Amino acid sequence: MAKTLPVIELHDLKKRFGVGDAEHYALDGMDLTIKKGEFIAIMGPSGCGKTTLLNILGLLDQSSDGEYKLDGVEVSTLRQSKKAHIRSQQIGFVFQSFNLIARLNVIDNVALPLTYKGIPKTKRLQMASDILTNFHLGEREYYMPYQLSGGQTQRVAIARALVNEPSIILADEPTGNLDSHSSHIIMEELSDLHKRGNTIIMVTHNPRLTSYASRVITMLDGHVDTDTMVIPEIVAVAPKRPLGPKSKKKKPAKKKPPVKKSASTTKKTTTPRKKKT
Amino acid sequence: MRFLLLNHIQNARQSLKANRLRSILTMLGVTIGVASVTTILALSSGASQVVSSQVDRLGGNIAVVRPGTPDSNPLTTITGGTPQRDYAPSTLTETDLAAVAQLPGVHAIAPLMVLTGPVKGDSPAPANTPIVATTPDLANITKLPIASGQFLDSYINPNTAVIGTQLSIAIYGTEASVGRKIDIRGTSFTVIGVIKRLNNPINYDNVDFDSAIVINLDGGKALNQGVAQLQQIDIQADTVSNLSQVIIVTNKTLLQAHGGQNDFSVLSGDQISQPSSQLFYAIAGVTAAVAAISLLVGGIGIMNIMLVSVAERTREIGIRKALGATNGDITWQFLIESLAISVSGGITGYLIGYGLAFVISTFMTFDPVLNWQIAAVALGISLVMGTIFGLYPAFKAARKDPIDSLREYS
Repeated sequence: MAKTLPVIELHDLKKRFGVGDAEHYALDGMDLTIKKGEFIAIMGPSGCGKTTLLNILGLLDQSSDGEYKLDGVEVSTLRQSKKAHIRSQQIGFVFQSFNLIARLNVIDNVALPLTYKGIPKTKRLQMASDILTNFHLGEREYYMPYQLSGGQTQRVAIARALVNEPSIILADEPTGNLDSHSSHIIMEELSDLHKRGNTIIMVTHNPRLTSYASRVITMLDGHVDTDTMVIPEIVAVAPKRPLGPKSKKKKPAKKKPPVKKSASTTKKTTTPRKKKT
Repeated sequence: MRFLLLNHIQNARQSLKANRLRSILTMLGVTIGVASVTTILALSSGASQVVSSQVDRLGGNIAVVRPGTPDSNPLTTITGGTPQRDYAPSTLTETDLAAVAQLPGVHAIAPLMVLTGPVKGDSPAPANTPIVATTPDLANITKLPIASGQFLDSYINPNTAVIGTQLSIAIYGTEASVGRKIDIRGTSFTVIGVIKRLNNPINYDNVDFDSAIVINLDGGKALNQGVAQLQQIDIQADTVSNLSQVIIVTNKTLLQAHGGQNDFSVLSGDQISQPSSQLFYAIAGVTAAVAAISLLVGGIGIMNIMLVSVAERTREIGIRKALGATNGDITWQFLIESLAISVSGGITGYLIGYGLAFVISTFMTFDPVLNWQIAAVALGISLVMGTIFGLYPAFKAARKDPIDSLREYS
C-alpha cells in the first residue's frame, strides 16, 4: 500500500469568522499531512474547529489563509465548478444527521452522486444496487428514508458516499445519532473500507471510536494538540470494548455475535471490489 | 460538460407531484392567462379574415375607389364615433365613374351611393336602413344572388328597388315581396327582386345587403337633389393579371380629373379589408394587453412558489452540492422546475383557450382561426414566463452556501 503518498497537505491553515471585535479564528495555523490509506480520528472539545476543518477538507468551505494541497494541487486557486468536480470524483461525505433527501427512495439517494458524475441512468441504478447489496440493504432499495432505522439510514448514507469510489471519505460524527449497536456496525463498515485502502477522516466526540483509527488527532483552539499514530498490531491484540455508555453494556454484548458475522460477510462479498480498485 | 436535462425533468416532475395542489394552483395562473390570450388571438384573426377571404373569393380582380386618403390609424375609427364621410360630401362624382368605366382592362364598374332616410313598406323599416343607389353591374361584381324576381337592369323604370331578405321580412312580414310598393324618402318604388340571405354584415362594400334597399343610380340621384354622391366605386378588371395595370391607370385618370388633388384612394386585395382588419387587431391588441396582466400575475405566482420551494429545500441543495453538484446543476434544476410549471400551464391554457374560442364563435358570424402562429405564441409566452420568473429563484438556490444549507434543519 502506497502509504507514503500525501493526499492532503495543510500548512498554516487559518479560518476566520466574524469581523472587527467579533473576529475569531476557528482554525488558527493548522499543519497537517495526511497520507493515502490512513484512518484518522479527529477529537477535541466543542468549538475547536473540527467540523470547520472537515468542511474545508471537503471543499465545501474556503480557508481564509494558508495552504491546502489536495493531491498536490493548491485548492484556493480552483474555480467553483472544479471544486464541485473534485467533490463528485474524489470525496465522499458521511454526515451525523445522514442527510438523505427525504423525497427520494433509497436507491435514488445512493445513485445521486453518480448523476453529477454524468453516468447514465441504468448504469447508475445498477451501481447503486450493487453497493446496497454489499451493505446488506438489497431488499430496502425502494424504501423511503423515513422507513429505515437510524443504523440503516447511516449505512445508506455511507453507501452513497462510497458509490462514486472516492479516494477520501470525510465523516462528521457518523455515529453521533446512533445507539451503540448501530454505531458498532457503522464503525465496522468504516474500518473495512479503511482496510481496502481508502483514506478516512472522521470527526468524533466518542473516545471509544478511536480504537478503529490508525491515527488519532486531538485539536484545541484551532490547531493540532496531539497527533498519535496507533500501531495496528496493538489494536488487533487489544480487547474490543463495547461502544456507547457503560450502562448499556449488557445489550450490545448479547447482540454482538450476529453483528460480527455480518461484518465478516461484508468483507467476503466485497473482496472482488478491492481487486478492481 | 454534462447536461442533465432528463434528470432535471424527472426531478421537476417528482417535486411538483410532491406538492400537487400547490403546483396545480400555480399552473392555473399561467393557464388562465394563456387561455385568454389564445381565445382573443384566435377570434380576432378569425374576424379580420372575414373581409379578406371575401375579396379572395370574388376572384381577386376587384379594386375599389374610395373618397379621401386611406386612414392608416384604425384608432380614429374607434374614437371618432360615426365616420365623417357619412356627412361630408364625397369627392367621387359621376364624372369619375364615367372616366373610369372607359379605361382599358375594366370589365365592369359599379358605383355605391349610400343614402339613409325613412323607408316604409307595410310597416316602417328600422332606422338607418341603407339605401344603395348603384348600377346593374353590382350584382356581378359583388355576386349578389337573387332569391326571387330580378336585379336592376339598365332598361328598367328608375323607380324600382331590390331589397334584402331581412328587410323584406321586417317591413312586409314575408320574403315574397316582389311587386309590392315601398316608400323611400316620400317617393314610391316598386320591389322587383329580393336578394338571397347572405349573412355577411362585414364586407368590402360596407353595406349589409340583407337589410338594404338597392335602387338605380338615377333613382338615387333623384332622391338627392339630382346630385350623385359616390361613397365607393367597385371596379372589376377583365383578368387578375390586368388588375394592377387597371389600378395604375385609374389612379392617373382620377388624379387628372381631380386637378392633381389626391383626395381619393384606389385599393385592392388586403388593402380593402385593411381598415377593418386593423380595427380588429387594435381591439385584439387592447384585450390581449389586459390578458397579459393576468399572465404577469401568473408569473409572479410562479416566482413566489419557486422561492418557497427553494427555501424549503435549502438542505437538499446543500446535500446535492456536497455530493458534487455544480452551481449550474442547481440553477438548471430549479429553472426547469419553473419551466415545467409554466409550460404545462401554457399547454393546458392553449387547449382551454381554443375550446372557449369555439364556444364563443357559435354566437358569432366567424370562426376562430387555428394556426401554428397562435400555438407558437402560447408556447413562447409560457417559456418566456417560466424563464423570467424562474431565473431569480434558481440563481438564489445556486448561490446558497453549502455549509449554511446543510446546517439548516428542516
